[in-house]
Amino acid sequence: MNAPFDGAASGCPMAAASADFQPFEHRGMYEFLAKIREEVPIFHAPEIDYWVVTRRADIEAIMPDSDRFTAVLTTQPIFPWPQETLTYLQERKFAHEAIQVACDPPLHTRVKNHVTKFLNIRQFMSYEPAIRELARSYVQKLKGQETVDLVDAVTYEYPAQVVFMLLGVNDFDPRQIKKWGDLRLHMIWGRPEETDFEQAARDLADFWDYTVDLVAPRKADPKDDYPSKMFELRGGDDEVLTENEIRSLVFGLLLAGHETTTNAAGNLILELLKRREQWRAIAQDPALAKNAVEEGLRYATSVVAWRRRAKEPVTIGGVDLPAGANLLLSLASANRDPALFEEPETFDIARKDARNHMAFGKGLHHCVGAPLARLELRILLEELTAAFPEMRLAEGAEDTDFTKTLSFRGPAQLRVHLGPYKEQDA
Amino acid sequence: MIDITFIQPDGSQKTVAAKAGHTIMETAQAHGIDGVIAECGGSMACATCHVFLDDIALTAAGPASDSEDDMLEFAATPRADNSRLSCQVTVTDALNGAQITIPETQF
Ligand code: HEM
Ligand code: FES
Repeated sequence: MNAPFDGAASGCPMAAASADFQPFEHRGMYEFLAKIREEVPIFHAPEIDYWVVTRRADIEAIMPDSDRFTAVLTTQPIFPWPQETLTYLQERKFAHEAIQVACDPPLHTRVKNHVTKFLNIRQFMSYEPAIRELARSYVQKLKGQETVDLVDAVTYEYPAQVVFMLLGVNDFDPRQIKKWGDLRLHMIWGRPEETDFEQAARDLADFWDYTVDLVAPRKADPKDDYPSKMFELRGGDDEVLTENEIRSLVFGLLLAGHETTTNAAGNLILELLKRREQWRAIAQDPALAKNAVEEGLRYATSVVAWRRRAKEPVTIGGVDLPAGANLLLSLASANRDPALFEEPETFDIARKDARNHMAFGKGLHHCVGAPLARLELRILLEELTAAFPEMRLAEGAEDTDFTKTLSFRGPAQLRVHLGPYKEQDA
Repeated sequence: MIDITFIQPDGSQKTVAAKAGHTIMETAQAHGIDGVIAECGGSMACATCHVFLDDIALTAAGPASDSEDDMLEFAATPRADNSRLSCQVTVTDALNGAQITIPETQF
């Protein structure tokens, strides 16, 4: 076990951490972080040329500090794309602009002020009945089955369907959006092979075209969805929001709005089923679901690391870094920092301060979808525990593989025995 | 001394010594007051630091900016006339004796 992180054992702990760290391998990652955090607040990862920051206090100070740290790199490919790919995308009029998570004030402030007129907790709560109905429809499909892969059967599609609600789309295959999303993650946060690029560029351009076609009709014929609201706020004024910015926001949501939540749901269910008494406890008392979601986000978040770049010389964890230094902020590490959490390596749905995790970041870029993700996860958990209180992991399911990207962690499969279905009171 | 009293939805109270220049959100967090979540850390991006001010605090705080006013619309507990985002209110001497009420829920 743990072979990935068993390298250089002697000498300087910082150098050992550099040698041992495998940025794209999630198995063994938490054990590695627990081992080094106390001695190594920061170390260099040569494979990607990033400085990995491991402590909660440092990360919490860096994320909101847009004066000293820029977010422009957060959605740039870790490994730059070949020129042909870029040329091809240009020819296909791929025109996505980084105006949200990967930009700084004042642009970020202008755009965010509009975005939160729709992506906000009140608006999200208005979807609660529809989300519950959706979750129940997945439960109904499970009924009568014995062993299923919950990722394939439920968590893969469910968050994408919720994104479609926000976008007013009801005639599109969620699997296609997921495929495009997986591809974007692989191309930006993964380690694509040369042979991947041709197909990937074509798919990416198709994804953009889909977005353009989705947004266009909302201009003349507004509905009560996200792009329509953005057109209304725009009021024809490019200084407020351009039409291409609206397309870019929708393109952004078509990724941010479901990949993270799919993975978070998988991680949460996996941790709970490893400790079936906690699953059963929720089945008996659904009021526990809310905090269980927080503990899931703390203990096994789906965004394990997020990026920033120093705009000026800075000192982090005692190390002087030049302007331009790339930082990989380990949110996974921050969420288990003993400086903040007692017994951080214990998964406990009753933990009082679970919500103090940093799964959604901190500061100006704090996830605008956080209330929605929480709502989706809570509802799904309530419905699954109520319907299948005796669910358990299938043999070998604990050793599931994870998606191979730098920032996103989620089980590739989640094979479970559902157990007897429990009829719900009406 | 600038004494500020925080009142929880269940009526329980705690009076703390605030520092001028801090925000009310920072004051609450520094003294372990529950219910001021402040997820975005004061960037006016989350509305989970929503509080209700008494008359002393309202007068001392002055008017909310337009963007704060917009954000308040999205607070989980519906806003009232005396609602503010506590990360946007700076503590001054004039806040001495103020009472700040925490809303029922922030999320
Ligand atoms: C469990 C699920 C989710 C996790 C773990 C997550 C995590 C994050 C993180 C770490 C950030 C960056 C924070 C920073 O840079 O400080 C972020 C930003 C963002 N998230 Fe999420 N997210 C989730 C779900 C969602 C959902 C459901 C939506 C859409 C409805 C969404 C939309 C966004 C957007 C638009 C931003 C950019 C905000 C900005 O830059 O102002 N996220 N999220
Ligand atoms: S702390 Fe987020 S709005 Fe005040």
